Amino acid sequence: MILVTNNILAFNKYGKEIEVKFNEETLCELLFRVRDFVHSGHKLLTHPLSGSVKPNETCFKSVLISERKEGTDFESLKIIENSIQLVKNFQKYEIPKEYLKDLREIDLTLIGGAIRK
Amino acid sequence: MNLKLGYIQIRDIQFAKTSAIKDGVLNVNAKELEALVLEDENFASVKFDIARPGESVRIMPVKDVIEPRVKVSGDGDIFPGMISKVQTVGSGVTHVLKGAAIVTTGQVVGFQEGIIDMTGLGAEYTPFSKTLNLVVDFTPIKNLTPHKYEESLRKAGLRIAYEIGKLGKEITPDEVKEYEFLPLLESIAKYPNLPKVGYVQMLQSQGLLHDTYVYGIDMKLSLTTMLSPTEVFDGAILSGNCVSACDKNTTYHHQNNPVIEDLFEQHGKTLNFCAMIITNENVFLMDKQRSSDWTAKLTKYLGLDGAIISQEGFGNPDTDLIMNCKKVEEAGVKTVIITDEYAGREGTSQSLADADPAADAVVTGGNANQVITLPPLKKIIGSIGHVEKIAGGFKGNMAKDGSITVEIQAIIGATNELGFNRLSAR
Repeated sequence: MILVTNNILAFNKYGKEIEVKFNEETLCELLFRVRDFVHSGHKLLTHPLSGSVKPNETCFKSVLISERKEGTDFESLKIIENSIQLVKNFQKYEIPKEYLKDLREIDLTLIGGAIRK
Repeated sequence: MNLKLGYIQIRDIQFAKTSAIKDGVLNVNAKELEALVLEDENFASVKFDIARPGESVRIMPVKDVIEPRVKVSGDGDIFPGMISKVQTVGSGVTHVLKGAAIVTTGQVVGFQEGIIDMTGLGAEYTPFSKTLNLVVDFTPIKNLTPHKYEESLRKAGLRIAYEIGKLGKEITPDEVKEYEFLPLLESIAKYPNLPKVGYVQMLQSQGLLHDTYVYGIDMKLSLTTMLSPTEVFDGAILSGNCVSACDKNTTYHHQNNPVIEDLFEQHGKTLNFCAMIITNENVFLMDKQRSSDWTAKLTKYLGLDGAIISQEGFGNPDTDLIMNCKKVEEAGVKTVIITDEYAGREGTSQSLADADPAADAVVTGGNANQVITLPPLKKIIGSIGHVEKIAGGFKGNMAKDGSITVEIQAIIGATNELGFNRLSAR
């Protein structure tokens, strides 16, 4: 599996165990990048809207995708497209810097549970 | 299983030297409770406060709301597997301190959400503006990790509710309701002409701040399973879910699950309420596949005619909801789903992260992106922090007079997906 993330903690923790595609980018940019991977034949392994922290309350997300490329998986495509659509419904605003540490930690915990499986 | 719930109506909460219930007034010795809480060395201090309906009080960030209950007779004890030992509950007699609630607050992580306003417009959006709230504000020791803080806070709230519940053991209830849940074959034999209806409850189970416990087991580790709905009344399902204030199920919601209550109300009249299935909402798509397969298998095996499926949370669980709905329908069982929506401020955008034509009977708890303005209130319990920036809010939303404009997702229980809320439409 491949981890697509904009969370540096996830990169630092899992970079040696599995392939990690890390970019410093916004949540939307991250989701677009995941969609590109799906278009090129990777399957989603975890849900792109994992966690109930709302898209305008967090800026970090880690998503697991399959290593193997096959034909486009339409179930994955539907999930990522719907997720992007829903994220657009939220008003954007600046997230206070002092919260970033906790938000990275929550994302790390959520994806950590999935990776351990 | 047969369970009698005896409701003791609480009219007021007061701090007092001796904890007791007298003439409907719940007297609480805060010192004793403080000592109980501080047995956990993860807490540096704890504060108790009382918030009554109509008072100019705002409570935030709320972590859990719990109703004090006590087991008077029957097997097991309240909050099994978490506070009391693991033993099947849901039969005998349980007393409920109706009208009272324990509200826990604490800043587990930096960002905050979960508002209860006791008066004003905000009060209309949360059911806990109508309860007498004993609010417990926990301060952890330095450098405690969020995981440990969350666990300590969750258990402390339940212990307090357990201790306060015990005060009602010898009190004669004002009202008693009886709930009977028969073994499947007996239930079918008793009501052969009524449609067999089951309840599928989806439980939040994604990770830190997003967990639910059933008899002490973290639900993300469980396969889809079954229990008697009367077990839920005794605290078999407990909330460890501190995120998504508007549509998370607090422990109070579980204890008073209105889907269960309404199904019991119709039981033997219009339908035969003969099964309750619980399933999880994990982040791994393979888990979703497995859990929804099991949900469908069970509904088919039980021979249900219909199922009500309730969701918890936002985004990721939308996918579980639709998988459950689609597969249960494919198994030949009619479904009604209960969800809420994030349809943008105008309410015109796509509102769920997933959809399917099989989901043709939907009940909504409301649009969580709806914007309201909360008036300034005199007293804050907990900490207001950066509510204007973070909790369903946006930059510059605090007016000069101190009023704040937020999306209703900031308010505890505003769009609850069990239908335990005050929003309605005509």
